Amino acid sequence: MKQHSLWRDSWGRLYQDKWAILALAIVVVYSLTALLSFMGIIASDWAREVGGSNLPPSADHWFGTDIFGRDVLQKVIRGTRVAMSVGLATSLIAIPVGVVLGALAGYFGGWIDDLITWLYTTFSSIPNIMLLISITMILGKGLFAVYVALGATSWVTLCRLIRGEVMKHKEREYVQAASAIGGGHMRKLFRHILPNVTHIIIINTSLQFQVAIKSEVILSYLGLGVQGEPSWGTMIDDAKLELSRGVWWQLAGATLAMFIIVLAFNILGDALRDSLDPKLKGKT
Amino acid sequence: MKFASLCLIFALLVSGCSKEQNFDERELHLISLEKIFGFDPIHVSDRYSGNENGKVYEGLFEFHPLKRPYELVPNLAESLPTVSEDGLTYVFKLKKGVLFHDSPCFKDGIGRELIADDVIFSLKRLADPKLSAKGWWVLDGKVAGLNEWREKHAALESSNYEEEISGLKKIDSHSFQVTLTKPFPQFQYSLAMPYTFIVAKEAVTHFGKEFLNHPVGTGPFHLEKFEQGNQIIYTKNPKFREKFYPAEGAEGDDKLGLLADAGKRIPLVDRVVVDILPETQTQWLNFQKGKADLLELKSNYERAMDKKNEVHQELKSKGIRLFTDPMLDVTFFAFNYENPILKDRRVRQAMSLAYDRAEANKLFYNNSAFEAQSVIPPGLNGYRKEFKNPYTKLDLSQARKLLADAGYPNGKGLPEITVQTRSETVARQQIEHFAKCMEKIGIKVQAGMNTWPELIKKVTTKQHQLYTMAWGADYPDAENFLGLVFCPNQSPGSNGANYCNPDFDALFRQATILQDSPERTAFYEKMNEMVAIDVPWVFGFHRTEVNVTQAWLKNFKHMEFNHTQVQYLGVDLEVKKELSKKF
Amino acid sequence: MTKYILRRLFYMIPVLMGVSLIIFLLFNLIAGDPTAVLLGKNATARQMAELREQLGLNKSLFAQYLDVLKSAFTFDFGRSWATKQEITYMIKQGAYPSLCLTIPAFVISTVLSLLISLVVAFYRGKGIDLFIRFMCIAGMSISALAYILAFQYFFAFKMGWFEISGFEYGFPDFIPYIALPAIIWILLSLGPDVRFFRTVILDEIYQDYVRTARAKGLSEISILLKHVLRNAMIPIITYVVIQIPYLILGALLLESFFSIPGLGGITLNALNSSDFPVIKAMAILSSVIYIVFSLVSDVLYTFADPRVKLK
Repeated sequence: MKQHSLWRDSWGRLYQDKWAILALAIVVVYSLTALLSFMGIIASDWAREVGGSNLPPSADHWFGTDIFGRDVLQKVIRGTRVAMSVGLATSLIAIPVGVVLGALAGYFGGWIDDLITWLYTTFSSIPNIMLLISITMILGKGLFAVYVALGATSWVTLCRLIRGEVMKHKEREYVQAASAIGGGHMRKLFRHILPNVTHIIIINTSLQFQVAIKSEVILSYLGLGVQGEPSWGTMIDDAKLELSRGVWWQLAGATLAMFIIVLAFNILGDALRDSLDPKLKGKT
Repeated sequence: MKFASLCLIFALLVSGCSKEQNFDERELHLISLEKIFGFDPIHVSDRYSGNENGKVYEGLFEFHPLKRPYELVPNLAESLPTVSEDGLTYVFKLKKGVLFHDSPCFKDGIGRELIADDVIFSLKRLADPKLSAKGWWVLDGKVAGLNEWREKHAALESSNYEEEISGLKKIDSHSFQVTLTKPFPQFQYSLAMPYTFIVAKEAVTHFGKEFLNHPVGTGPFHLEKFEQGNQIIYTKNPKFREKFYPAEGAEGDDKLGLLADAGKRIPLVDRVVVDILPETQTQWLNFQKGKADLLELKSNYERAMDKKNEVHQELKSKGIRLFTDPMLDVTFFAFNYENPILKDRRVRQAMSLAYDRAEANKLFYNNSAFEAQSVIPPGLNGYRKEFKNPYTKLDLSQARKLLADAGYPNGKGLPEITVQTRSETVARQQIEHFAKCMEKIGIKVQAGMNTWPELIKKVTTKQHQLYTMAWGADYPDAENFLGLVFCPNQSPGSNGANYCNPDFDALFRQATILQDSPERTAFYEKMNEMVAIDVPWVFGFHRTEVNVTQAWLKNFKHMEFNHTQVQYLGVDLEVKKELSKKF
Repeated sequence: MTKYILRRLFYMIPVLMGVSLIIFLLFNLIAGDPTAVLLGKNATARQMAELREQLGLNKSLFAQYLDVLKSAFTFDFGRSWATKQEITYMIKQGAYPSLCLTIPAFVISTVLSLLISLVVAFYRGKGIDLFIRFMCIAGMSISALAYILAFQYFFAFKMGWFEISGFEYGFPDFIPYIALPAIIWILLSLGPDVRFFRTVILDEIYQDYVRTARAKGLSEISILLKHVLRNAMIPIITYVVIQIPYLILGALLLESFFSIPGLGGITLNALNSSDFPVIKAMAILSSVIYIVFSLVSDVLYTFADPRVKLK
């Protein structure tokens, strides 16, 4: 297997796509922002009152102030922390669960496949909103509950994709060859098959990431969001009341910040698919 | 580009289909801020469902639409009841010639006359164990023989309404007698509440479980259309008895034009359309577009008023008026006495002293609310204007001192405290503000967001540390508020603080059997001030109700108990036609 | 074929059992106390106990689960605890507005996406391809809540092009009410749709038969419409059919802000008031629809592509 050159190829193609590089840069900038604010280096005093309640944007406060006189820009920056961590944590839950279950189902087939297929069919046939609300109820509200709830609803797609892909690869010659030289099941699955389906994980994650960020807004609207810390979701939720008295800057700030990162992830996801998916190799 | 132009074409295709307004019919357009739970009065516990039921059904009494303080006046009853010397026996007389709405449940579909049996039937329904009525508490333990009847039937297959109850006796076709188990002067108030609205037995039997969609009452309007979660439409009841707009009101009402329709037969409109719109922005945009005649603002008052509580010029030019009236309510953060840390009075007092009420008032109520000193709101006997609770001022140094005395200098040693609330935007912001205040004395507070059932479950099972809520009056008597800190009412009852003070309880038992009198008021004042010092709650506010009305809406005056209000409202079609150009 | 369909329908049984179990566990053991909601703020402990008895909340958990299971297979959901309405009636009343909104929005967005995909496939790699794709992706990158707040304020209120909110049963009365939410729906779904359709179409464009057709001198447009589109139809149909279940459940945010009394709002209200019978009914309904439509999509697949054999 010429793994390395395949990856290098893909990277080369990605590198040529200016948009993808820009998108990647944006993701890096957001991640750094989130990291820095996590370490308390930037936007650590977001809770400080810097002026009156609901001041419109000015040179001092680019996005104005919120109801408690806090700087909206600071809150937006601080909000990246929640957004990025929601995306990350969701992926960290969804990927292991989805990949392991999907791989097991696809590789072993039989009753294992039946069981796992049953599990994800059951999960995907319950409306997401019910799972989200009930899981946050069980775990008590807050960031952790949001992670788990979104993770629990997003492993399903990945699981299905991996299952299908593993099933295809199982029959391929290289796997047969590995059997011939006496590789165990686990070895075949994890050493030989999984590396060949990694692109699916990467593409899916880049798309799931933005879904998670968007879902945080919906959860906040339902009152299930993050407490005691600014998030774009709670800011947009605030805006639903404030907009009618002309306070548009919280909505604008949070929406803009979210728009840029979600757009970046979308472009990146597309570019990754174009460059990683061998089927589409060189076709765009 | 194709994408953009296609969108535009689509937009043009569907636009221009906004509906035309109707200027020929006297039609009221109202907004219900929450969804409606159907038309079975015994289950109507919230204000919004109460308003809808009050258009179709009537009670024996109602509150005078204009006079303040609130005065109970007869509605289906001929007059106020005659009460025996010992305060136990009430004799009620009904108006003659009151007809139920025409309905297929009656013989030939024609509504029959209301008689005393209907009242007794309706009260028994409230007690029927098979129906689990939300309103059972208004009669629970109060009417002689009723609890026994309820208990007996709880074990049986079905309830027998024929069985006589000693406390509910028919005298003749239009009069009956109620005997109480102990004196309870607030009893007649419960006969103005939606729970005790009078229903027809035929309708209950005929429609069975579908009764809640087919109300048959005696009220001024028929239910024409009921789409839960969307819209309710009523039409005027042509057989409504002769009822007239009151000729007198409170001082100054004539200057406000509230008496212009005096003596006119009500209802003043032919149709009422109620849109059910739970989203704030949706409500406000509809009102501003002139699609609603009246809107109650629940938050963000600044959209309608400036810092001086005057209506914005832009709205004023459209003739929109603003009403701010004190409500009979109180908001609070209640401590749970079962919690060993919060049981310490000094901790409670410290938290109360650290809460910046002035700022909260500015942020959430545009300075229109009154800071609460204790549980009883102004407007009820028992509230004393001069009384200032020493622990409701903002005094951080004293708060810190109290906290240190309690063994938590600068909050050290205190765990993070969770305040439970409803998952709502404003509720979240209020706790954020509360947390900000507590942080100043070193107490960490976080919000616990709950659906309504979760919140109730936490409070009734005593799992909370603090929770926040507002309590609105069920009737204009301080007993309704003082009961919130009465020991026997502790969780799962309405005393969610689980506050128990034997002295208070003794006074409560003494006072609540008295008729309204200076003696009782003195009791109420004493109790109110006794509770204040103990700080079972961080007292919040007595809020004002903020309403905006269109210029063409006539006779609007804030009513705390407004189930019957709509029949007094009118529409000036001339003004509406004229002004509609501006919308 | 028949055997396959029967087998798949039979498969519904374990899935329904699973759904009932999950919903039962999540809401019966953990959620708020329904009796408190049903009895209001002045309820007494005794009354709550009585009601628990009546609602069957005192039965053993297993017996309660059996009740849930029974209603999953009989479709007899009883009445809502909160609104006391017949649940089948509520679903009927709610499905209509939901479908009035979602079907037109879905059809338009699918057709529009397909058109756009053909255009961008035709101009693949050129500036216009990039631009349109960028616009579509940008459209889906804005939060639905932001769209709603801004559009309702601007297009419905300021410009007065649409009704601000509400719904009327019956055609064509509902059109002014659903137009704006439908536009928002379309803006949100163009991105993912175009992305998928474009990939599928490009997949076909590089097949050998297209090269042959080109060699025969057919014009690029007729190749695209006649050959490519026909072959790309298989994954497109599958993709479209599998989305249908979500249409029936409605659009939660759009429904609440535009006051459309659909199933999304009913579900949300039920969740907020621990209205277990309604939650149960909605979960069961949605899983039945989900299974049926994934079956339909698989069957269509075989019709469209005879090479695929269903086992």
